[in-house]
Amino acid sequence: MIHRIIKQIQRYKGWVGAGAAVCLLTGTYLGLIASPPDYYQGEVVRIMYVHVPLAHTALLAYTVVFAGSIWYLWKRDRLIDNMCHAAAGLGFLFTGLALITGSIWAKPTWNTWWTWDPRLVSFAILFLILAGYLMLRTFLTEDPDRESRYAAVLAIVGFIDLPIIHFSVEWWRTLHQPLSISTRGVSISGELLLPLTIMSIGFHLLFAYMLMVRTQLLYLDELLQAKKGRLLTQMHLSRSQTSP
Amino acid sequence: MTGLYIRWGIFVLLAIILSMLVVRHYEAQLATVSPSDLILSPSTGSFRVQGMVKSGTLKGDVEQGAVQFELVDDAAAIRVQYHGPPPENLRELKTVVMIGTWDATARVFRAHEIALVSNYGFVASAYLLTFIPIGVFLFSMSRKVVVLMQAIKDSKLYEPEG
Amino acid sequence: MGTTYKKTGIVVSILLVAGALGYLALGNFGDNLVYFVTPSEVRAFTPDHSRKKVRVGGMVVKGSVHTHSEPVGLTFELTDGAATIPVVFRGIPPDLFKEGQGAVVEGYWKDGKTFYATMIMAKHSEDYMPIELKRAGVQLPKKDFMRTLSP
Repeated sequence: MIHRIIKQIQRYKGWVGAGAAVCLLTGTYLGLIASPPDYYQGEVVRIMYVHVPLAHTALLAYTVVFAGSIWYLWKRDRLIDNMCHAAAGLGFLFTGLALITGSIWAKPTWNTWWTWDPRLVSFAILFLILAGYLMLRTFLTEDPDRESRYAAVLAIVGFIDLPIIHFSVEWWRTLHQPLSISTRGVSISGELLLPLTIMSIGFHLLFAYMLMVRTQLLYLDELLQAKKGRLLTQMHLSRSQTSP
Repeated sequence: MTGLYIRWGIFVLLAIILSMLVVRHYEAQLATVSPSDLILSPSTGSFRVQGMVKSGTLKGDVEQGAVQFELVDDAAAIRVQYHGPPPENLRELKTVVMIGTWDATARVFRAHEIALVSNYGFVASAYLLTFIPIGVFLFSMSRKVVVLMQAIKDSKLYEPEG
Repeated sequence: MGTTYKKTGIVVSILLVAGALGYLALGNFGDNLVYFVTPSEVRAFTPDHSRKKVRVGGMVVKGSVHTHSEPVGLTFELTDGAATIPVVFRGIPPDLFKEGQGAVVEGYWKDGKTFYATMIMAKHSEDYMPIELKRAGVQLPKKDFMRTLSP
């Protein structure tokens, strides 16, 4: 069933990619040109329109890895495993970019590139977890099933970092500002919220599109390896049969 | 493969047009002069001066939007008189951009607007460092998918399933 | 790839994740990792704290900022609502440093009377709006500042 759904979704891949491109171009226009600067931060507030969606997408990517890992351990589906591997790679990219843009935003506002604030530390830990996950998958290649199983367990254990990242600004003393969109309400005025929303939609669509491309990439790679392997085995068998 | 290049070509073209629009939009705002430039300039006219509010010189009523102070850089200081909406972010030892006219005879800068220092370098680097790595990564992935598909077909390993 | 090389890779990757999670468990969960202390806690410091570099967070008291030019620097007061400490800093404060806003200072509580800051970081709140709305007196919902200091 899940394969049918994935096939259906893959049919609309182009539309997702086009939607992402349109949203990101519009969002950049709104964010850099049409929206007003912030009363307190001035122009640097525009960094928020890339930083927040990047960080959010990174969390989404890890959630996909987590859910996919549970699914994989339950059903042992190769395609889902490819998806987890793909989402982890993308999560690594998005986490890294969120850290970089955050650092660029922190310098003109907080007056430092990096500080040992709980939000920053817990986010950097997500980066390390993803790095570890990808390294494990790179080095543990002899037995694909073992590789997938170990990676899935690691991803499930590492999920504990996600609620910590989200609530760190509410639970502990931080330099990072608290949540702007929470049970208290929305603390961003409409003119600034519009580019943020469009950029968020754009980055989420972009992630969905990249996930499809990368899952396909890993799947095709595995397929090619498998077919090559089968061919080699066949050649090997035929040779051993013909040789005296 | 051609289809891939055409799609990406269109996207890159749109991105370039957008960045040119952005650069044009901010070009006028980037042009600021320093107090030492202003002192040397004999002309009277409107300027955007960037400098730091000297400590101990800010006088007047910030709430009412009528203040005077000295704006300094490394070499020179100018007197500034500001009349306008209440300045939200004015204080001593802060770098600001004052918009107004330079009175060369009275040697005073009459400002009607205060802009925060525009850190466009930070904004631009944040956007570029986001979109360039993602673009390169996505492009190489898409390209590899096409290459892999071709490789599967070419090597005659492909057997239609089902 | 050689087998030893691979094995090292696997060990390193597991250590990386275990180390990261361990730090999380011991540092954040154990409440050992406090990013900054409040002025009330600074007031309760014993004299042997004077050589240790500490980070203090609080709100810059309105009307307490005084700048001087020879040498360039400023003095101000930092409060958490319950206690207030005077802070001395040499240099130019960050652009977003402002009275009535949050700040985190790094430095030494030397003689039990004054805090000598070596760095000032400006904390901004989570509300964002254009200046026109601010001038019109619009208030967006946000977390009470004092509560962000010691939740």
